[in-house]
Amino acid sequence: MAQDIFAVPVFFIVFRETIETVIIVSILLAWLKQTLDGPNKDQKAYKALTRQVWLGTGIGLFICLVVAGGLIGAFYTLGSNTWEQHEYYYEGAFALFASIIITIVGAALLRVGKMQEKWRLKLAKALESPVQTKKKGCFKHFAEKYAMFVLPFVTILREGIEAIVFIAGVSFSTPAKAVPLPVVVGLIAGCIVGYILYKGGASTKLQLFLVLSTCLLYLVAAGLFSRAIWYFEEAEWNKAIGGEASEFGTGPGSYDISKSVWHVNCCSPNYNGGGGWGIFNALLGWTNSATYGSVIGYNVYWIVVILGFIAMRYKEVKGHWPLRKAKEAPAVAEYSSSGSSNDLPSDRAKGASVVREELKSS
Amino acid sequence: MASSSHRWLSPAALVSSLIASALAKTVNYDFNVGWITANPDGAFEKSVIGINDQWPIPVIEADVGDQVVINLQNNLGNETTGLHFHGLYMKGYNHMDGPSMVTQCDIPPGSSFKYNFTIQQAGTYWYHSHTHGQYPDGLRGPLIIHDPDNPYQDDYDEEIVLSVSDWYHDHMSALIPWFMSRVNPSGAEPIPKAALINETQNFKLKVEPNTTYFVRMVNIGAFAGQYIWFEGHTIQIVEVDGVYTQKAEAEMIYLSAAQRCSFLLTTKNETDANYAFVASMDTTLFDAYPEDLQYNVTGWLTYDEDAGFPEPELVDEFVDFDDMNLIPEDEEELLPEPDREITLNVAMDNLGDGANYAWFNNITYTIPKVPTLYTALSAGDLATNAQVYGTWTNPFVYEKDEVIQIVINNLDPGRHPFHLHGHHFQAIYRSEEEAGEFDPETAEFPDRPMRRDTLVIQPDGNMVVRFKADNPGVWVFHCHIEWHVVSGLMATFIEAPLELQELITIPDDHRAACDAQGISTTGNAAGSEDFLDLSSQNVPADPLPAGFTTRGIIALVFSCVAGILGVCVVAWYGFADAGKLAHPSGAQPTSLAAVKEGAAAQSSPAAHNDDDIQVVSGSGGARA
Repeated sequence: MAQDIFAVPVFFIVFRETIETVIIVSILLAWLKQTLDGPNKDQKAYKALTRQVWLGTGIGLFICLVVAGGLIGAFYTLGSNTWEQHEYYYEGAFALFASIIITIVGAALLRVGKMQEKWRLKLAKALESPVQTKKKGCFKHFAEKYAMFVLPFVTILREGIEAIVFIAGVSFSTPAKAVPLPVVVGLIAGCIVGYILYKGGASTKLQLFLVLSTCLLYLVAAGLFSRAIWYFEEAEWNKAIGGEASEFGTGPGSYDISKSVWHVNCCSPNYNGGGGWGIFNALLGWTNSATYGSVIGYNVYWIVVILGFIAMRYKEVKGHWPLRKAKEAPAVAEYSSSGSSNDLPSDRAKGASVVREELKSS
Repeated sequence: MASSSHRWLSPAALVSSLIASALAKTVNYDFNVGWITANPDGAFEKSVIGINDQWPIPVIEADVGDQVVINLQNNLGNETTGLHFHGLYMKGYNHMDGPSMVTQCDIPPGSSFKYNFTIQQAGTYWYHSHTHGQYPDGLRGPLIIHDPDNPYQDDYDEEIVLSVSDWYHDHMSALIPWFMSRVNPSGAEPIPKAALINETQNFKLKVEPNTTYFVRMVNIGAFAGQYIWFEGHTIQIVEVDGVYTQKAEAEMIYLSAAQRCSFLLTTKNETDANYAFVASMDTTLFDAYPEDLQYNVTGWLTYDEDAGFPEPELVDEFVDFDDMNLIPEDEEELLPEPDREITLNVAMDNLGDGANYAWFNNITYTIPKVPTLYTALSAGDLATNAQVYGTWTNPFVYEKDEVIQIVINNLDPGRHPFHLHGHHFQAIYRSEEEAGEFDPETAEFPDRPMRRDTLVIQPDGNMVVRFKADNPGVWVFHCHIEWHVVSGLMATFIEAPLELQELITIPDDHRAACDAQGISTTGNAAGSEDFLDLSSQNVPADPLPAGFTTRGIIALVFSCVAGILGVCVVAWYGFADAGKLAHPSGAQPTSLAAVKEGAAAQSSPAAHNDDDIQVVSGSGGARA
C-alpha cells in the first residue's frame, strides 16, 4: 500500500542529491557567517556573498528544472533519450568540474582559519573591483569574485539534473502518484540535514568547524573525482556494448570486466535509486564496481591533495615552495594547482594596508 | 586399435550385413572446398564457402544401402573444415560423423580427407561443416536419401527439395570473436541480415497443374527458426527429420535450424495465377529488431511465368503445426521405462573473461585435446569411465542397448532446437512456455511418440526425449543454434565404448589430419596417456569473482588509507598555526586570526632568520 504513494527509490535519490547540494551550500553559508558576519566585520561583503550563494543555488535549480524538463519532454516526444546516450559524459564532466572547484575552494576556506582577516579583506576587495580582462590574473580573479556563486551553481546543476533524470528512469516502473511525496520528503529531509550542518557549523569554534567541514568537502571531492573517471569509463562501456549497461542491473555485463578491480552484485549506488549506498556514494565515493581508473583516480587525488597541503605548509613556514630556491626578492606571483596560496609577503602587506584604508572609508 | 577380442560382433560382419540389405551402389563425390563470391540477398557481395567453385553447394543424393564416398579437398587456405551428415545414424561409421574434435580432427588447409559410409536410412537430411561455427559461411546443403520403399510413393508424382536459411553479411570468423567477448555480456546472437529460400530470394518454383509433389523442406540456417506457409494450398506432412509420419494436414509449419519436414502438396487445376509461399524468421529469437532486417523471404509456386507474381498477404498471427501431434508411420511404440535418466539444465551465464557462455548443468562445452572418439578407442577398458573424456566435454557413458531418457529443463528465456547425433529419439514430452522444470508426476507420454533428431524446447519450458543406446559411438547432443554450439551448449554421449572399439579403425588420412596439427590420436581429453590424469585438460575461463578478490581488498584498503591519511593531512594543515608563519624576508605576520587565536604569539614574530625556521617547522609538525 505504502509503495503506491511512496516510492522508496525516489526518496533515496532526492535525499542523496539534496544532501550533496546542501553540504556545499550550508558549509559556504556557515563559513560566510563565521568569517564575515558580526558587528565588527564586513556586513556588506557578507550580504553580497550570501546573495551569491543563494543566487547560484536558485539559478542552478531553475536551469536544471528547465533542462531536465526539456530532456524528459524530448524523451517522451522523440522516444529516444539523447540525455541517456550521453548521460555519463555529462555526469563525468560535471563531477570533474565540481571536484576541482571544491578542491580549490576547500583549500581557500581552510586558509581562512589562519588568515581570516586577510581573506575577508581580499574577498571584499575582489567583490568591489570589476572583473578584469587582463590576461593572467583574469580567471583567478573571476573565480575569487564569483566563487560563492559558481560552486553552488555547478553543484545544484549536476545534482538536480541527475536527480530528475534518475527519478524519470525509476518512475517508469512506479505509479506516477508514488513520485511526488518521496520527492518532497527527500527534499525536506535533505534540507534538514543541511540546516543542522549550517547551524552546527555557524556556532562551532571557527577553526574546528573549518577543519571538519573541509575534511568533509575533500571526502566528497575525492569521491567526485573518482566518480568522474568512473562515469567516463561507463560511458565508454555503454558505447562498447552498444546499449545500456544499467539494463544488466548489478550483475555481469553491468561493468567492464577488463577494467574491474572489484565488483559486488549488490550495493550499487545507482541501481534502482541506490538506497543507502547512494548516500554512501555521495559522501565517500563508494561504488560496488570499482575500476582501475576510479581506484587510481581516488588515490591519486588524495596524494595530490596531501602533497599540495604539505607544500602549502612548507611555503607558509619556509616562505617558498619546496624544490625551489628561496627567492631573494620574491615579487612574482606563483600559481599552483592547489591555488590561492600565492600570497607573497609584499602583496600581503600591501593588500592589508589597502583594505585597512577601505575599511576606514566605508 | 581393438584392445580385446571377446566382443560379440566383428565390424566386417556388421558392414556386410548392412550392405547386403539393399542393391548397393557406390556414390562418389569429389568435393573441392574453397572460397567463392556470392550475393544471395542482392544486398552484399561476400566470399562464401563453396564446393567445386559452386555455391549453393550441391545436394548429396543417394539411395538406401548405397555407399557414399566423399573425397574432400580443403582449399580454403585460411580455415580448417569438416563435414557432418546431419541425421544419419552412421552405425559402424562413427568416425565419419564429422564434428571437429569429437569424431575427427579439423581438416587443415591444403589436405584431403575421405568420408566413406553406408547409407542406412531413407529421408531428408542435410550436411554441413561442424567445425568452429563455420557452416553459416555457406558450407551447408541438403542430403536426400531416396527410398524405394517410401510408403507414400503412390501419393505423389515428383520430389522437390527446398531449403530455407538465414544469411549474414559478415563472416563467422569475424562475428564469433565479438559474440564471445566481454562487450557482448548478454550473449546476444548476431542477427541475420536476410532469410533465403534455396539460398536465394524471390525463388520461382516451377510447378505443373494438378500434380502432387513430395516437398522436402530443410532449414539449413544457422540461427533462425522459420514459419513457412503456402498461399492457396494446404500441405500434408508425411516426414520429419527422416521419419515417416502419418499424414497430417497443416496450414503453416515451423522449422527450427536443422529441422526438416516433408509434405505432400497438390497443385491446382488452373494455371492462371501464381501463388506466393513465405518463410518468415522467428524474430522472438532475436535480441533486437534492426530496421534493415529482412525477416521474410518469398518464393512462388509458378504455374505460368507470365501470370505475375503477387506480393504475399500479411498474416495476423503465426499458427504453426505442433510437431508433437505427429504419429510415426511405423507406429513404433514408446520405449520401455528408461535404464538411465539424464537431466540437463540449460542456462546462460558469464565467465571471468566477461563473455556469455551456454551451460548444460554448470558445464560449458570446451573442446578436448584429443577427439573424444579417439580417446574412446585408445582408452581400453577405461573407456567406460566418463572421466577419461574430460570434465568440460560433459560426457555421459551408456551401456549397449540401454534405454536412455533425457530431461531438458530450459532455464533460459529462448527457444533452443536440440539435436542428437546418430539417432532419432522419441519426443515424448514437451511443455508449454514458462512451465519451469519437468514434473514427472503430471506428465503423460504418448503411446506412439513422434521421432526426430532435432526438437525445439520452449522458453523456460522443459521436454523429455527417449532413445535406445543401440549405436556404439560418440554422439554429441547440442543446441543447433550455431552460436550456442560456439558458446558451449553441447554434451557428449559415449555409447557402448567397448563395442565401439571393435567396430572402428581410424583411417590413415584421418590420423594425418591430426598429425598435421600436432594433435594426438590417443590419450584422454587432456592428451595424456595416463587416462585418469586430467591436469592439463582444456578448461573454460575462470568464473566471475563472486565478490571482493585480493586485488579488490588491496585497492579498497589503499583507498581507505589514502582517504584517512588525506583527511589527517587536511586537518593537520587546518590546525597548524599560521601564526608561526615565518619568512626569510622578514615580513611581519599579518594574520589577525593568528593573533586572535593567540596560540603562538610568543614564538612566531621572531622568525627572522633561517635557523628559526627549522624550529618553527618542527613545532608545526608536532601540533599535527
